[in-house]
Amino acid sequence: MNKTKFRQFVEFLLKNNLVIVPQYNVEGYLHLAELKNPKDLYLGTELPLDSWKWYLIPPFQKMFDYKNDQFKEILPKVGKQIFLGVSILDLQALTLLNQVFEQDPYYQEIKKKTIVIGTSHVPKENFYKYFAKFEEDKLEHLQFDIFLAVQKNGYKIYSGSEDGQRLLDKFKYKNYQHIEYAGPIREEGLDQQMVSVMDGMQNFHEQKIWDDLGKRCMQCGKCTIACPVCFCFRMYDQSNLEKDSGYRSRCWDTCFYNEFTQVAGPAPAAPKHRLMNTTSQKIYFWYEHHFVRTPASFSLPGCVGCGRCTRTCPADIDIFQTQRDILKARQRKK
Amino acid sequence: MLNEYKTYNCKILKVTPEASDSKTFTLSLPYKGFSFEPGQYVMASIPGFGEAIFGIASEMNDKKSIQITVRKVGTLTSELHNKKKGDLIGIRGPYGRSFPIDLAKGKNVLIVVGGIGIPPLRPLILDALENPKKYNKVYIFYGCRDESTLLYAKEYPAWKNVCELSLTLEKPLTSKYAKGLVTTLFDVKDIPADAIAFMCGPPIMYKFVLAKMLDKGFKPENIFISLERHMDCGQGVCQHCAIGTKYVCKDGPVFSYAELMNFKSWLSPI
Repeated sequence: MNKTKFRQFVEFLLKNNLVIVPQYNVEGYLHLAELKNPKDLYLGTELPLDSWKWYLIPPFQKMFDYKNDQFKEILPKVGKQIFLGVSILDLQALTLLNQVFEQDPYYQEIKKKTIVIGTSHVPKENFYKYFAKFEEDKLEHLQFDIFLAVQKNGYKIYSGSEDGQRLLDKFKYKNYQHIEYAGPIREEGLDQQMVSVMDGMQNFHEQKIWDDLGKRCMQCGKCTIACPVCFCFRMYDQSNLEKDSGYRSRCWDTCFYNEFTQVAGPAPAAPKHRLMNTTSQKIYFWYEHHFVRTPASFSLPGCVGCGRCTRTCPADIDIFQTQRDILKARQRKK
Repeated sequence: MLNEYKTYNCKILKVTPEASDSKTFTLSLPYKGFSFEPGQYVMASIPGFGEAIFGIASEMNDKKSIQITVRKVGTLTSELHNKKKGDLIGIRGPYGRSFPIDLAKGKNVLIVVGGIGIPPLRPLILDALENPKKYNKVYIFYGCRDESTLLYAKEYPAWKNVCELSLTLEKPLTSKYAKGLVTTLFDVKDIPADAIAFMCGPPIMYKFVLAKMLDKGFKPENIFISLERHMDCGQGVCQHCAIGTKYVCKDGPVFSYAELMNFKSWLSPI
């Protein structure tokens, strides 16, 4: 698809859909927003500060309305939307989220109305070596609807689902190949980098790494907001002003907050008991989720190497450096 | 699409006060065909006050009702205590892995409980009362703060017909009961080391009880512990209850000590 045709494609997408793309805002930050003018679309190697999870698992989500003792399910009301310009790293993140929330009616309600159009752009500073070079056979392990592989004068087009095929057919574009999703595990087996970091954390524990991080981390939880695969949530009830009515909802939660593992409370006299008390315990828990628990549960990397947490961290904690430290400790103790 | 977060309204059939700060609620079944095993839990909720997990405390074979025992400690539990016969409570579940009672068939059983840890093991005790020949000998070690916090006190005479019940109180107000933590019972009572042990109580208790058990020659694979964690979803998504690679909500809450020993996380699970 050459550049002129691609411009027409974007205009075609804009006609009937809400199209969400990376674009620069007035302050000069690249972020995700609705595309109003095709000229604002940014397709390149820089990653937006916010990630696509904002649209799939919104920070706040109503789950039920209640009146007296009756709960009524409230599914998110979204129209058709298109994610355009999803970096291959973010596709890896979406592939994981699809797995985690496969039984979740709220996620699925949004997901089924969403078309994901990925690109082969990868940020220059990318720790996740697997995607450093784009190759066609990597696509069958990612979930997407349409994929744009960058070429000299435009894009090579792939479809990854029937929805994607239908959309391309409607645009009367025939020159595309179909890729069938083959599951998360590649022919060569699990990702080596993922396995080594996991092994390092599980079997060659180095307390100093976590004590040092515990001293620097200020438990603000910004990394959990920036991370494209952080999805912890808490559920809570909110009453309306009207008697005996309100809603049950869920919102993003952060494992750095004290309430995260707190049991019993919050009545003033109640004994408060937490399972994570120190900062280093909390930051270890965060890393453990990404580097150990997710690979163990889904055979997928729990960190896609996008570096968003490093960019947002006010204490300059570099996830890539931590990975290197874990690997170094493993090397030394092995 | 099925919604796992959907609660079923259960009618309160009976409220029984237990000790000074707890109540047992007998509820109608959430839905037809509801069944559970000892150690499993439900999410109980009241609109406007949220949800929390409670171990099911009733008899397994009861096809008409379930029971939960609630200690008044926070917002939700205080509101639960305001509920009366005929009111509704939202229930979803049952969730989690149960105590492996089949493993204990024909064997000696040791139940070690502390404080509010006893409800999830009550189905097992009631099962032993119902089928006295199912288990060889059942020992119950129960430690509490004082006389006013002893749960199910009215049932002790019946329990004693089949089980050997040993009670100990941390701060006894009278001289009727032994003084001390639940660990002191291991020094006083003689327990066969081949018993299958089931345990539930405050996390601080596990370390000391485990030390005593291993000392007595218990095998790690014969010790089963129900862990307590903050949970929101109940199905291994929200991350609140995670330890190492496991989720207490769906891989537990019951773990054998052999499993817990292998947890590589330095955030010790117990």
